[in-house]
Amino acid sequence: MSAPPSAAEIEALVGHEFPGGTYTIAHWENYLLTECTGSEPLPDGLAHPAVLFHMPILGAGTSIAGMFALGRAESDFSIGIESYDWEILRPLREEVAYDVRGRVTEAGRREGPLRGGPRGVYDRIQFRFELREPAGAPAAVSTITWTYRRSA
Amino acid sequence: MNARPGDAIPEWVMESVRPERMRTMAAILRDPNPVHWDREAVAALPFGLGERTINQGPLGLSYILNMLMDWAGPASVRRITMRFPKVVLDGDRVTAGGRVTAVREEGGERLADCEVWLAREGETPALEGTATVALPDA
Repeated sequence: MSAPPSAAEIEALVGHEFPGGTYTIAHWENYLLTECTGSEPLPDGLAHPAVLFHMPILGAGTSIAGMFALGRAESDFSIGIESYDWEILRPLREEVAYDVRGRVTEAGRREGPLRGGPRGVYDRIQFRFELREPAGAPAAVSTITWTYRRSA
Repeated sequence: MNARPGDAIPEWVMESVRPERMRTMAAILRDPNPVHWDREAVAALPFGLGERTINQGPLGLSYILNMLMDWAGPASVRRITMRFPKVVLDGDRVTAGGRVTAVREEGGERLADCEVWLAREGETPALEGTATVALPDA
């Protein structure tokens, strides 16, 4: 395992931009995801709004593992969710190539209890992803805030 | 649709959170974290969770979305902001609930602001937050 990042290295992540790209929600993907939620398929090619987690991440040219690595997570188990904030400006649909941009908007070291557990040191990193329809209209914004627990 | 502050949103129940759905979600999300598909990995954690996999945060959130869409329509959700004070585990029975806190007009739409949550029976919420939905006409 590499040395843990300094607080300054974490703060320097603010402004980091992912490569960006496009993402198209395939029908099969939406069907299976919707089934996992316990819902029937939505009408009229609507995508289940729960796509707003993975679609922006993958569309922006990164991945869950890539975001763990960016914050130099000590392990998969050291990550916690602080919050997800999803704004849906236009209904999301299958088979539409959404343009996706993503970047780090906040990053910093904290100390305190996590999920009501014992106090500890952790890094808080916030990612913002913006989706646009092919013609350029804003479609959605996903803001993900994770905590990266540090053992030392 | 009529909605007023204080109105309860009809509950949505996931009778049993199923581990096979977590595995499918892990593949769709490209989520390599074994806590979602490896019970032994969860049991080895120092959190006393036993041999039960941990539901993905977006999957728990999706139960609340299902409640909102069943109530106001499949294209009604405008915003949802959630925090995750507890984990949801395979085998859990969880209920999504909500309450209208305000009704307002914006951009030609009638919007309902709501507080929403997901909880095991008799427990404080595992997920809690706020949502805004567009109310259908009539």
